[in-house]
Amino acid sequence: MTSLEVKKLDAWFGKTQVLKSISVAAETRSVTAIIGPSGCGKSTLLRCMNRMHEEVRGARAEGEVLFGDRDIYAPGADPVVVRRQIGMVFQRPNPFPTMSVIDNAVAGLRLTGRIPKAELHQRAETALRAAGLWDEVKDRLQEPGGRLSGGQQQRLCIARALAVEPEILLMDEPASALDPVSTLRIEELIAELKGNYTVIIVTHNMQQAARVSDSTLFMLYGEVVEFATTQKVFTNPEDRRTEDYVTGRFG
Amino acid sequence: MRETRHAFHDELDSIELEVLAEGELAERAIGRSVAALVTRDADLAREVIAEDDAVDERYLSVERRILEVLALQTPVAGDLRRLSAILHINLHLERIGDQAVNVAKIFLSVQDLPPGGTILSHLNEMGDVVRAMIRTALASLRDRDLELALSLPAMDDPVDRLNLGMYREVAKLAADPEMLDWGLRMNVLARQLERVGDNAVDIGEQVAFLLTGEFREFTDASHPELG
Repeated sequence: MTSLEVKKLDAWFGKTQVLKSISVAAETRSVTAIIGPSGCGKSTLLRCMNRMHEEVRGARAEGEVLFGDRDIYAPGADPVVVRRQIGMVFQRPNPFPTMSVIDNAVAGLRLTGRIPKAELHQRAETALRAAGLWDEVKDRLQEPGGRLSGGQQQRLCIARALAVEPEILLMDEPASALDPVSTLRIEELIAELKGNYTVIIVTHNMQQAARVSDSTLFMLYGEVVEFATTQKVFTNPEDRRTEDYVTGRFG
Repeated sequence: MRETRHAFHDELDSIELEVLAEGELAERAIGRSVAALVTRDADLAREVIAEDDAVDERYLSVERRILEVLALQTPVAGDLRRLSAILHINLHLERIGDQAVNVAKIFLSVQDLPPGGTILSHLNEMGDVVRAMIRTALASLRDRDLELALSLPAMDDPVDRLNLGMYREVAKLAADPEMLDWGLRMNVLARQLERVGDNAVDIGEQVAFLLTGEFREFTDASHPELG
């Protein structure tokens, strides 16, 4: 089953076209990795998947992004609702530094309406457990989020994204600011999240894409070069340009 | 676009050259071992045994270099298939070197016994064919030539036929105990050459995998109807 399907998507920053007729489909409860050299449009594509792209002045997108049977770009589609169902985790951990760990976890949830305190606590615990952070912070729930380590802060941000119960989690280089051990912890977490969520991850780290994803999309100059199973891309890619990129013959 | 992993790819090229050099040594060893048998040259047989160290040295060097590249460079795609293929080919070539040593040793063990002309000429023919097979297998790797690799099973047919026929030839010697003793050893020797043919076919399979990304056995002994 497909969770998210991009159809003939074009995107621009001002007059510069950065995505050209992108079509790609992410399977439900799978991990899709987007790889490609800097400037190839992979982050832009990710940001088009929950209507974050248009937040930049002068940026626009045309085409369809189907979430279930709804086009998130259809007239009348509410970007706020879209972003609740399709969450995003960014490169640099960005918890609210002075807000407590537990309040950070439910910061997004609070924006969705009034929720009784007992339920908030329960939802925070569920999200922190899903993000693999609960055991490390259960005795520090009232400490400021900024006091956690970098890897813990990133998992706190993942918990915050999960607390609103999205169906899809977009991750934009979620481990590139972390040390190797924290990186592996995040990768393990991605494997666990796959049981309940559809994950789409942009990464500069090709080995990370190989380790965590089921499908890999290789992009170049704003276009899809190859979209196939990760096993195929890293053992026997179809396109010469994919082969050259993953084997480091150009960069 | 610019090459970004120059040293790594130079190392892959260099590892492949080393395995090709190992293959030339192994092919030469098979030729010399059969020549020692046919010309009854014990000194040559002893040289073949001594020279196997050179094959083994290259085998160990290729093995070590591949492990190093796997550990340090995380090769993928065509690079990964190339290393995997060379790793297997390396082992087949080392085995071919060992079969040459076996041929030489078997000859030395029977050099005082009277030889039979037909059997010797069959073994000589087997030697010629398997040498050509090793050269073909190595050329298919060097030239990335799928057709050459695919031609190996057909080349192997006469080798298998001669090996199977060896039993009948040996049975003809039953009347003379000394000749029979020699013949039975030659039956074992034929088996060594037959194995070399199989090794060459296996190298061809690795080359086909390298080129196509699909691994399949050219012939399957347990399912001959699929061959």
